[in-house]
Parts: sequence; structure tokens; C-alpha cells
Amino acid sequence: MNDRRRVNGPPGGTRPPVYASLLETGTGAGDRSQRQRQPAELRKICMHDDNLSAPAYQTNLWHFRTSVLKTGLIPSASGSSYLEFEPSASLTAARANPKSLIPPSSALKLACTVHGPKPLPRSAAFSPNLVLTTHVKYAPFAARKRKGHVRDSSERDLGVHLETALRGAIIAERWPKSGLDITITILEAEDDRWWGDAPDSHDASWGMMNVLAGCISAASAAIADAHIDCLDLVAGGVAALVSNDSTNSSSSAPRLMLDADPAEHRSIVSACVVAYMPARDEITELWLKGDSSKASLAAGDQRTGHEALIDGAVDAARGAYTVLAEAVRESLQRAFDQS
Amino acid sequence: MSNQRQASSASQTPHLSPAELSYLYTSLSLPRAPIRPDGRSPTQFRPLSAESNILPGTNGSARIGFADGTQAIVGVKAEVERTNLATDTLASQSDVNDSEEHQGSAAVSGHGSWVQMSIEIPGFRDDDALPVFLSEMMRESLVGSVTEGSGKADAADAAEMAGGLKGRLVINKRWHWRLYIDVLLLSQPLSYPLPLLSLTTHLALLSTKLPKLKSQGEEDPFFDDDWAVAEYLYPRISSQKTKLPSQYVRPPVTLLVISVGENVIFDPNREEIAVADAVLAISLTRDSEAGSLKLLSIRTIDPPSRLTQPAVPNSENVNMLGAPAPTEDIAVLNPVTGEEEVPGVWRPRRGGIKRSVIANMVQTVLKKGGVGEDVLEGLEGVEVE
Amino acid sequence: MKYKESLLRMAWTPRNVLSTYRADLFKRKFLDSFAFHPPNHCSTITSHPLAHKGQHNGSFLPPLAIPGQCLGSVDNYGAGPGTHIQQSNIYASIAGPVVLDPAQPKAQTKGIIRITRTLLPSKQTAPIAGGAHAASAKSKPRYNTLPAVESIVLARVTRVQKRQATVSILVVLDDTNTPSADPSKTASDNDNVAAILSSAANPENHSSTDELRFQAQIRKEDVRAVEKDRVIMDEMFRVGDIVRGSVISLGDQSFYYLTTARNDLGVVMARSEAGNMMFPVSWNQMRDPYTGVAEQRKVARPN
Repeated sequence: MNDRRRVNGPPGGTRPPVYASLLETGTGAGDRSQRQRQPAELRKICMHDDNLSAPAYQTNLWHFRTSVLKTGLIPSASGSSYLEFEPSASLTAARANPKSLIPPSSALKLACTVHGPKPLPRSAAFSPNLVLTTHVKYAPFAARKRKGHVRDSSERDLGVHLETALRGAIIAERWPKSGLDITITILEAEDDRWWGDAPDSHDASWGMMNVLAGCISAASAAIADAHIDCLDLVAGGVAALVSNDSTNSSSSAPRLMLDADPAEHRSIVSACVVAYMPARDEITELWLKGDSSKASLAAGDQRTGHEALIDGAVDAARGAYTVLAEAVRESLQRAFDQS
Repeated sequence: MSNQRQASSASQTPHLSPAELSYLYTSLSLPRAPIRPDGRSPTQFRPLSAESNILPGTNGSARIGFADGTQAIVGVKAEVERTNLATDTLASQSDVNDSEEHQGSAAVSGHGSWVQMSIEIPGFRDDDALPVFLSEMMRESLVGSVTEGSGKADAADAAEMAGGLKGRLVINKRWHWRLYIDVLLLSQPLSYPLPLLSLTTHLALLSTKLPKLKSQGEEDPFFDDDWAVAEYLYPRISSQKTKLPSQYVRPPVTLLVISVGENVIFDPNREEIAVADAVLAISLTRDSEAGSLKLLSIRTIDPPSRLTQPAVPNSENVNMLGAPAPTEDIAVLNPVTGEEEVPGVWRPRRGGIKRSVIANMVQTVLKKGGVGEDVLEGLEGVEVE
Repeated sequence: MKYKESLLRMAWTPRNVLSTYRADLFKRKFLDSFAFHPPNHCSTITSHPLAHKGQHNGSFLPPLAIPGQCLGSVDNYGAGPGTHIQQSNIYASIAGPVVLDPAQPKAQTKGIIRITRTLLPSKQTAPIAGGAHAASAKSKPRYNTLPAVESIVLARVTRVQKRQATVSILVVLDDTNTPSADPSKTASDNDNVAAILSSAANPENHSSTDELRFQAQIRKEDVRAVEKDRVIMDEMFRVGDIVRGSVISLGDQSFYYLTTARNDLGVVMARSEAGNMMFPVSWNQMRDPYTGVAEQRKVARPN
């Protein structure tokens, strides 16, 4: 489906030129970034303070920008939130001391707005429950390859996942006859793999799963900000089975990593994203793909690969929840102090 | 708008009254022995008729019809296409520098975008949530089914499938097959159409043949025009090498599983899915090495029970004021959902799924002699020569 | 080219479904007893069943709650708005200040925990002299309210027909404020109530935001309590009037139903044919102060 209403950019997208110096090994510019974290360590989620000074990554906190509501950036929204993942160490280094035009990896940044509850359109049928509409869109500049203005199938797919995740958390019967629109704009997306890698046999859109986890947490914060009744804050978490060996031999089995950045690993064999409500220990959305049967788990671990993967994703979601709860509490406290 | 809204839920919410929903839920959640409206056992599928190779214009095709009249037709078409990945990556650029032998891995292992899937469902636009969600779900398990075929290097056929479907599509470094899988549902779906579409796609892929390649190595490909010698996309292993026909490399199958109370129920019809606590789509295939089943993907599907209308217990019903207070009308704690409920009074589901429930559902599918094996055996029973 | 066709019926029943299924169920039940149990953050509260007694904003209740936070057991408290019950415990379902409505000693009821949508500290919900109230009205928090049955709303008339008038709901008045309260002090999702009302009274100002507001109908028989069959809608409402009404039903897919059949309900603001704001003179008349012409309306009793 072509967008005929706008003057669109080139369909193929553009990418920065690759200079010959990159191809020489040892300069460091063309090397894959390495994971600096422990397998169970999550990335920090960014805090933006009210004064919008330089983002501080020192604390493991994620502030939710209440100033967005007041500065009139999204004046009509009843709730909104902004989320940013900590960039990998190599990305921070590359930004401070650029050796190449191509950033080694990317860090997730997204903004979420909640509109409503508002009346349903006239054509809609009576609904005794809150009708949720989710809309996930990559900004055209979000990924290395330019995205069009019209939502493609992966964005629609993300929207369905997000809706499933949120609908389980919302107490829909408290808002009869009304609709809630959740719009997420992804400003910077995760890579599906390291940019220098050719797509290999384990290639799939792994970055999408990290994006979905971020969408879930951000949307939950925005819904809490809009004072829509929900059972619990719902946090997104990702775990992946990664194999880092370059020889691609089957000698080393894939290992479990929480919150894996696809750009940091040779290949991801299997990954799982969950939307998790800690107060109830319940999963509202589960998306697992890839072959999880060959996971190398700790000795004596009786779990099957997929169970370990789900448990890992839940642990990652628990980590995100602490930040999420802190952010919601803090924005509430701030509004309370001001009143 | 209303179509789109319903589409994202598991299917159109059936217009069942709260009393009907409550009755259904109670009978389906009976401990150990659920009673299904059509009398099936929890793991029994609806009877269906299947045939394959019905469309001469395609490389492979199949039709499956359920007894309720819903039918799906799948046609698979293959086209030769030039591989154009090389300029993208560092690896392939260094290939040009180094030597011809060092192959870019993309040209060997294939690419997921070479498989295109489109699903047409009457009553839905092709960019509505349901068709998009279904096709992404089925495509991701198709292209994701990589068999690590290193141990099978002796069996040439198995090695051919080493890279999974993606690897099979590689002709040589410069050319590949592009596969179009077009799924057509012939009538408005009466239930969530996933099992029907998945089984039909499975059969169509099994019957898909690619013309035999006559060129060799890095030549521009040309093919034998004798259809009789064409090769299957999913090759059959010659019978003397393996003992069991089940050792074939098979396309994946996606099963729809619901949990109601403590029960796990397969192939739910429209009414059953309307009262489900949780709905999962589980994709699996046969592991060619171990001979057991392998999980490929799990997706939760939004259960439509969250959108149903609640019932009013007699104690809160204005019309029952003055009537003698019913004695059984006391809220009790539902052990599964943890909610206070009056027995027989329907409440829309809310919240998510416990991990133990997910584990139980997956276990029921994957275990030896479980439903997954039954389904795959049943599909293998369909004669595809 | 040859095609082999095959057609057969498949109806598979697993061989020993029932037995394996039961064995599996047993195993699951057995394993469940070791299953992970979520941390119970309620224990500190439930262990002090009498702790809240006599405390308005009890020390065992957090002042602020976020969704999913456990607030107490249903044995000790009742669940009010903004909370839900799960596993016999009360959990917060919105973020906001926790308010404990103290138990009525005579009625033998439990204290009700609720979470307010207004961010006013709970002590200010009690009537306090003007100073505190004015201060809180200044920085008005935004929150969402839906019209519910029996809530009092202010609505603008958008269409008058023979059998009903169509209105769009501007403001849902808060429960804690009596209808007599100054509308500018009622919190709502419309930040500037005064601006909405004054602009709305101008019939020229048909803003497109009507589509975003909840629509309602006042049917002919709900306009007044007496002489219902003599009602002529044109003599009750005109397009652009601001009406105070009470919701009687959530209605159908597109409209709420309102009633004005009470003395304090009806038109509160209206402009005359000449375009001037009118003042009420009787239960069914309003008068233009400049031209002196009286027009007929279903007038709400002024406070």
C-alpha cells in the first residue's frame, strides 16, 4: 500500500558509507561491541530529570517525565511517559570519541501517550468494557533502515502484542462505553543484529522483542499516569539464548542472558518476551520464538529450555518493575507535593 | 472500526449471554473431565476433510474443510530471484577482498524475508490486525525452524534441510527461491481460524515441489522441465535409511490451546474460546535428530472472555428486591483466578496466566505421546506422494 | 505432469487420553504445592486488625499508593473506588492518595479504603475554611471521570427535536462537591470549566471537540416531573444552553440518558434571541436584561 498523500523519501533507504578503514581489523571502529554485563544483569533504564539536563545514567532509575504533560508537548494526552534504555558501553564510547560514522549499536528510546477515556465513535457497537486501541509506530529515522510513514506488518504485529499485554492488566468494566487510545512512537529502535553481520541462520527480528518489552513498561506507566484502573503495573522483560562462538560449531551450547542486546551477540538462538504483573505473579503476554531446546543450563537444573527462558524473562520483568514502580510513585509524589 | 476492534481479540466475541457463558465455563472447568459442547474429549480435534495438490497452477496446494463448513485453501508458489544481500555487510565486503571461497553467510543460510505469507479472510481488510497477526505467527515458526543438522551430514537429504526452510531456498550464492504462501479462507471464520490455516499450510508445504536443478555450482540456474522429477521442498528420506516415516523433516504446525479452570483443551470452537482463561498458540515441529517434538514459538492470544458482559448476582439485582434471599448466593474464592465469585454468575476474566498453567499447556502439547505427536501423525497419514 | 489426489477424513483421538491426562493433572497438583508464591506484602497490615481504629489516615496505610499495591485484607476493610479485591486482599488499582473512610460505629460496617482521583490530601476533603480550598483549586490536577448513573453533569444542548434534546456532556461534577459548589472548584478532565461554560453559551462556538465528548439525550418524558405529556421541547431547551442534569442510564451505544425532572436541574445558562445572557425569573422563564424579553426554558432553581 503506497502512501500517496506525502512526498516520500527513497523507498530503499540510505545508509552511511563504509570506508575502507573500517575493514581493516584492529582499528576498533568495525568491531562488534561486547556485552559488559553479567548474564543476569539488566541494562539501566534512563532517567530524565524535570529540567531536561543531560541524562544521568548513574542511578538505576527511570523517571517518567511529568514535565511532558506540563510543557505542552502533548497537551491533550491524559497520560504519557518516556522511556530510554542505557546505551551500551561501546556506544557511549563511540559517541564520545567517534571513529566511524556508523554507531556500533543503538539504544531504545520511545514515547507513549494515552488518550481517553473518550466516547466511542458513533459507528461502534455498545461495549460494557473499556475498548483499548494500541498503535505502535517506528519513527522513520528510528532504525538503520528507513521506515515508511504507513505502518507495516511488524508494527501492526507489535500493536497486537501490546494490546494483549495491556488488556490483561486493565480493569475494563470500570469504563463502560469508552475507548482508550495508546500511541507509542519509537524514536530509536534496537538493532536486530550487529550491523556488520550478514543475516545468518538464526536471523529474525530479535530487536522487536526488546522494543515490545519497552513498549509494555512505558504504556503501563502512561496508563497509571492517566488514572485508568488496572490490576497491577505490568512490566516487560526479555531473555534470550545466545551463542557467541564465531565458528558456529555446535560445541558450545547457547547460554541464557537477560535483557540481551542483539548487537552484542553473534547470534540469538531463541528469545522470549513477557508482560508480567508481579503482585499477582501472572503473565499477560508471552511471546517466545526460536529453538530453545539446546539451552545450557546450570547442572542440576531440571527445567526445559523454554521454561528457563520464560523464567528468565520474568526475572528481567521484575527488574524493570522496580524501576517502573519507582517512576510511577515518584511522579505521583511530585504531583501530590505540588497540589 | 468495530471489525478491527474485534479482530485483535481471539475472534469475534460470540453473542452469548452471561448465563450461557457461566454454564459453558462450569462444564469446561469440571476437574479432570471437562464436558465440551460437542462431546469431544479435551484433546480431540474436530473432524476434517483434507486433500492436497488440488491446484495445478501452483507448486503445492492443499484444502482442508471443517465439518462446520469453513474451508481454507493454500497455494504455494515459488519464483527464482537474484540474491542481493552482498552490499549490506562488512562480512561480504571482506569476501570480495579475500577470496571467492569465503562465502557470505547470508547466501548459505538464506533469509527470512524470502518466505512471504499473506492471509485473506472474508470480512477483514488485509491490513487488519487479525490477518497480520496470524501471518506473522505462522511465518515466524516457518522460517525459524532451523535444524542443526550437523550430525546428519551422511544423509544427503537431511543435510539439504540443514538450514531449515530458509536454507532449502538457496540455489547458489547468487540465486534463491522466493516462496509465496497464499492462504485463502473461503468463508467468514466461525471460530479462531488458526488451527485450520496452520494445518492447511502444513499440507500445502508438504506437497510443494520445486523443479529439479540442472545447472551446477555458481552457474545461472536452469531447471528440468519434467515435473515428474521435480523435488519436494521438504525432501523425503529414502525409506531404507530410516526406520520410521516420522523421521521426515516436516513443516511446523501451530496449535491453538486454551485453559479453562484447571483443564487444557485443544482446538476450541467459538463458544469454548469465549470462556477461556488463557489462549496460547504453540508452534512445534519434529526434531529430526532426537525424533521428539521441538517447540518453535509460543504466543499468547487475547482471550475474548475479557470483553464479555458480566452477570449480576441475585443479591445485587434490583429486580430481585423483596424476593427471598437465595441461600447459595455467596461469593467464594475461585482457586484458579483468585477472584471472589458467586458460583454460576459470570464475570469477565481479567489478569494474566500463571506460569504453572503455561508450563502445563506446553507440556501437554510436547510430551511423548501427547497431542503434538498425534497431530503430526494424523497429518502424515494424509497421503502426499 | 501428474497429480495425486487424496481425500480422507481425519478424526484423531489420542490413544489413552484419559489416563495420561489424569496422571498429568495429579503431577501438576503435586508440583503446585511447591510452586512459587508471590511475596505477600500484606502481612504487616493483616497482623494488626485493629491498628487502623480511630485513625483517619492510619499509619499502617500508605499515604500514596500505586496500582497493584496491597492495602489490607477484606476482613478489616471494605474496598472502595480505585481499589480491587484479589485473594481476599484489597489492592490499589490507580495511583493516588489513600483515603480511609472511618467505620460507622452504629452501622457495624468496616472502614472503606478508597483511592481518590483528586490529588487533594485527604484532610482537605473535609470542609475547611476557604483558604485551603482556594489554594487547592488553583493547581487543579487532571483526572478522568466517566458519567455514571445518578452523577450530576453539566451539558450543552446541541440539538432539539420533538421527542428529545441531544446534549454533549461537558463536566461530570464530583461526588465530594455538592452541585451548589462553584463549578470552577470541581476537578474534572476539563481544566478550565469557566472557560468551557462561557464559550459554550455562545451558539456561534460549535467547536469540533463535541465529537470527543460523551453524548447524551434528554427525552421528552424526562424533562420535568409534572405534566409530562404537555412538554414542548422547543419551550424547554434551545441549542447552546447549558443544562444541569442527572444521569439515569448509560443508555445505548451512542447516548447516555439524562433527566432534568428535579427542581435543581434544568437550564443554568442561556442566551436570548438577541444574544444576551439571560437571568432566571421563574421555573419556566428566563429574561433578557437588555431587551426585557422573556423566553421559556426548563429552568434550574438557582442556588
